[in-house]
Amino acid sequence: MKVLVVTRSGKELIKGGLQLNDSATVADLQEAIHKRTRKYYPSRQRLTLPVQPGSKERPTVLHYQKSLSEYTKGSTSELTVVFKDLGPQVKYSTLFFFEYLGPLLLYPIFYYFPVYKYFGYKEERVIHPVQTYALYYWCFHYFKRIMETFFVHRFSHATSPISNVFRNCAYYWSFGAFIAYFVNHPLYTPVSDFQMKIGFGFGIVCQVANFYCHLLLRNLRSPSGNGGYQIPRGFLFNIVTCANYTTEIYQWLGFNIATQTVAGYVFMVVAAGIMTNWALGKHRRLKKLFDGKEGRPKYPRRWVILPPFL
Amino acid sequence: MAGILSLVRRIYLSFYNWIVFFGWFQVFYLAVNTLKESGHEHVYDAVEKPLLLAQTAAILEILHGLVGLVRSPVSATLPQISSRLYVMWGILWSFPELRSHILVSSLVISWSVTEIIRYSFFGTKEAFGSAPSWLLWLRYSTFLLLYPSGITSEVGLIYSALPYIKESGKYSLRMPNKWNFSFDYYYAGLVALGIYVPGNPHMYGYMLGQRKKALSKSKKE
Repeated sequence: MKVLVVTRSGKELIKGGLQLNDSATVADLQEAIHKRTRKYYPSRQRLTLPVQPGSKERPTVLHYQKSLSEYTKGSTSELTVVFKDLGPQVKYSTLFFFEYLGPLLLYPIFYYFPVYKYFGYKEERVIHPVQTYALYYWCFHYFKRIMETFFVHRFSHATSPISNVFRNCAYYWSFGAFIAYFVNHPLYTPVSDFQMKIGFGFGIVCQVANFYCHLLLRNLRSPSGNGGYQIPRGFLFNIVTCANYTTEIYQWLGFNIATQTVAGYVFMVVAAGIMTNWALGKHRRLKKLFDGKEGRPKYPRRWVILPPFL
Repeated sequence: MAGILSLVRRIYLSFYNWIVFFGWFQVFYLAVNTLKESGHEHVYDAVEKPLLLAQTAAILEILHGLVGLVRSPVSATLPQISSRLYVMWGILWSFPELRSHILVSSLVISWSVTEIIRYSFFGTKEAFGSAPSWLLWLRYSTFLLLYPSGITSEVGLIYSALPYIKESGKYSLRMPNKWNFSFDYYYAGLVALGIYVPGNPHMYGYMLGQRKKALSKSKKE
């Protein structure tokens, strides 16, 4: 079949269009576009079906695994797709690696090196046990995240625009330095031994639970990178949709109970806010997909992200 | 029901805009008068009350944007109002040593002229349905001069305040404390100055874009 590729302004991206097999998939189309345009590798391409001008409906995005004939609505002779350049893309694993590397490397700098000298403090300082445990806890956390990125998480085919690398790294690295500055400060005031133990103990339990959640999520997806949605089940997922975020937030709570810094609590609240945003979207999507009609299972009643609040 | 709500909205916004307009008019009048009769050192004392009132009232505008009463995006109004409140309360009101500075006069005049035009523009629009084209033109053109003059005054005053901020230690929290937190108002001031560097080209560019949209739209009608 013939495929016309136009940009959103109506211009033809590929003069004369492309000739493809009737049984071709969207992925084949993306490859063909890439061959002709060189610059636009498949993950940069956003292909949609044209919408009527003035229509408010969201355009249908072409899914890379589907066959083109699914989008031709009967007439197999010609298909018009609208092209959008998403800009340079990076793999999610790449994005996560750089986000997490910052906190992992920056925090120990505040612990081991005489950083506070440059802020006007004396070089000698007493290191409290909680500060040492906090270092281990923090570094273990980000080490765990990096390991999960490469060995546990199954990412859908999606990539992320390269600008997100700068934005996300700014977020993680700034907050990392912000917290590290206060926890390792020469004038740091530790909490009671008991409170520290409760905090770190609770935090570790939540980190282990979080890891288990990630394992469960991994097994929902097949290794082929299908990325489809399933109803999460088992362990905490039976009562909360985004149990992985729940355990992550409570894990930070544990860290903060043990270290007691405004910086740590601020970070936790901001992170919880961001994750809540994601969780609401995911919960909504799952409820919409699993509506109980036409033989589909109905999504059970569950907390969204943070029992007992939301 | 919708008709009545829309009417209430119009009446409320008309009142709001004209009342604040009056406040800024007072500021402008008192500032010019004081400059003529006493000199720039006395401008702050003359305008303090209406200035603090009129500028602080602008917090309502963030609310208006949040609840959808007006179209202005919160992302544009929040930084604008924050910087104004910071300079007014955080610098001038907090550090009286700055009040006799000549930049106070340029600041107050830049702000008041801009606001007089802006509030009368919105006040007219809400009360009468539309604003005269000369007012529209003023609203979207005077910023070309008043924005740079206002920003220069703001930056100049913050910079001049720095030694007083450092010496007084005002608004700063030191460690050790049980929440392991510290805040240095002096460094915050440096950060604020830093934000002006990218922030202002951005805001100016935004206004230029708004000007293009608004003035070309009126040509078409």
